Amino acid sequence: MHENEVQSLLLIAICVIPAALAVITYPLARLFRPFGPALNIFGAGVVTALAIPIAMQAAGGQVMVALGRELRVDGLSALLVLVISVISLAAAIYAVPYMRLTPLLERVRDAAGRDVTGRRLATFYALSQAFLFSMLWACVTNNIVMLYVAVEASTIASGLLVAFYWDRRSLEAAYKYLMLLTVGIAFALVGCVLLYASAAPHMGEQAGVRAMLISDLPGVAAQIPHGIALVILSFVIVGFGTKAGIAPFHPWLPDAHAEAPSPVSALLSGVMIKMAAYALVRVLSIFFPLAAYHPVAMFVIVLSAFTMLLGGVMCLAQDDLKRMLAYSSVSQIGYIAMGLGLIGIGFDQTARYLGGYGSLFHLLNHALSKGLLFLAVGAIIYKTSGLRRMSDLRGMARRMPVTAVCFFVGAFAISGMPPFNGFWSKLTLYLAAARADLWWALGIAIGTSLLTLIAFVRAGYLVFWSDADTEVGEDEREDAPAAMLIPMGVLAALCVAIGLFPQIVYPLLDPAVKVLVHIP
Amino acid sequence: MYDAKLIETLSLIMIITSVAAVESYHLRRAATAYCVQALLVCGLILAFAAGNPALYVWAAVALVTKAIITPWLLLRAIGKTGDVEAKAIIGFGPSVLLASGLLIACYTLTHKYVHFLAPTPEAAQGVFRTNLAVSMTVFALGLYAILSRRDAIKTVIGLCLLENAIHLSLVSLAPHMRETALVGIATEVVITVALLLYVIVGIREQIGTTDTFELSELHW
Repeated sequence: MHENEVQSLLLIAICVIPAALAVITYPLARLFRPFGPALNIFGAGVVTALAIPIAMQAAGGQVMVALGRELRVDGLSALLVLVISVISLAAAIYAVPYMRLTPLLERVRDAAGRDVTGRRLATFYALSQAFLFSMLWACVTNNIVMLYVAVEASTIASGLLVAFYWDRRSLEAAYKYLMLLTVGIAFALVGCVLLYASAAPHMGEQAGVRAMLISDLPGVAAQIPHGIALVILSFVIVGFGTKAGIAPFHPWLPDAHAEAPSPVSALLSGVMIKMAAYALVRVLSIFFPLAAYHPVAMFVIVLSAFTMLLGGVMCLAQDDLKRMLAYSSVSQIGYIAMGLGLIGIGFDQTARYLGGYGSLFHLLNHALSKGLLFLAVGAIIYKTSGLRRMSDLRGMARRMPVTAVCFFVGAFAISGMPPFNGFWSKLTLYLAAARADLWWALGIAIGTSLLTLIAFVRAGYLVFWSDADTEVGEDEREDAPAAMLIPMGVLAALCVAIGLFPQIVYPLLDPAVKVLVHIP
Repeated sequence: MYDAKLIETLSLIMIITSVAAVESYHLRRAATAYCVQALLVCGLILAFAAGNPALYVWAAVALVTKAIITPWLLLRAIGKTGDVEAKAIIGFGPSVLLASGLLIACYTLTHKYVHFLAPTPEAAQGVFRTNLAVSMTVFALGLYAILSRRDAIKTVIGLCLLENAIHLSLVSLAPHMRETALVGIATEVVITVALLLYVIVGIREQIGTTDTFELSELHW
């Protein structure tokens, strides 16, 4: 047992509960349909209730371990666990009315044209729990090979969620999703296994077991031959970078995120790509304290600048609201990755800390605001029976005022406008880039923020305001049901609250950044 | 300790089966070539197990997941979608040339610069070196199949080749890895292949073809 480490059964519980629910949901939901959404909310609720004490302990500087250090939660893991739980709970509540939407379910038929709604919905709720389990497992595991297994498990669990509607578009998206991610993550597997194998000879006693533990790897990083380490890093960047949606490995992302049902899109964009960024930085941060790997960090920054710019430009070109949000996710993952790259560059502790802080702060903010935006667009889809092209939507602000407010909160937050949360995380990233003398990266980051703002204001104007003078009948002036508005309202309130009081998340973020920047 | 001749012969046949799986125009033949290759992976691991008895479990895992379940899934899906592959991006002749060039280049490079991949001195020598070079060559051929073929089933066969290569490379890279991790990896590959084939059969039912060029609803 290492200092600061305490045994905690919470870590086992937070994995076992959604896994067990994933197993029992399908038969129970087939028996009685309301069991599906009920168990889904129950699972996400319990996980959130467990994530709060875990996050509080981590904020207090403790590291929790379980199963002989096979599971380990430090500040960084705790942040991810909390974000995943909260967004999952919001999506689970939202899914109750959304997944019952008749016009969308019209599409759910088997080859013979029979209605398979019951079967499909039971699968949906079971897989939602499996998806939640796999993401939590990836953030809790301390085993380098199991990290790969968990990340791939999240692909498997979400593959059929993407294909839920089983029509031409969603099947195409699911095929690309499964194929590209599996090939991508195969690279990560080779990288992870190489890392394990090259660490083992330097581990001394019990090398076979200890070399698998991520927390023990930084100690031997300096002894791993430079050439092999570069191969490991490039494989891992391609592998987990594909899953995170970093360009040029992102083509699966806009398809999958746009074609999945909206609650699933919120999870894919809000948290799944963050989990991949987490997996990436877990491996990168093993090597980043060593000066020899600063060029790798620089490579990550270049890649992320390309990612944010490409995402920003593509975001502008979209007519489909969900595709626009998906490309915006590509762009925002670029910001997160840029901060992660800044951790590994130079010797300036302040720039590294700011980079890490900005990155993780933006990870949190993007999860909230993108989750919110996907839910808001989902609400429009819900009320208009499936419309999601800007060119088809007009004057929605008068029909759905609450959704309009939520959309604009999310839009301004994601564009980095004050007084919303995104402003602070982007500002931190700008400061970090300036401090590291990376003026070109700073320029691209600010320029992309402007692009994002233009894209979202344009979308918001077209969908909510234009032709607003058309008379709306009294019966049409009706927003989405409360079960959809409440999760949206909570996420919007969090965006505003963190924007007004950015210091409230400091106790959560500071221990997480210290894990990466290795400040004693 | 190791039968070097046996290992090298099996490795050579393994590369030939990869080319056969990639180039065969009939999907059933390609799936059969894949199945033969999976059996060769088992054979190779068994040959290595002479020096490390823990590898017998690995061979068993490979036999069940790669040589039995995966080919069965493939053949079942091919039964539903048809045996003839959608036209590839490159014709048969140029493709064989390209694949041969790729395999020669990849094998020579990985064999020569093995120290970039071999984490331990033992892995850079003798049969382990050959094994790594063969794995990386099959990996590259799998990737080539995924990139150059239009038929969705064929891309899945490419993916299977790639995963076979990884399984085999673990013998050189991490012979002392715990079986739980290995079973986890192998199980996930089977589930992914099953899901992909399930989706592809769905695509065939919806749009009447498995040609990925017809999947053009979602552009950019």
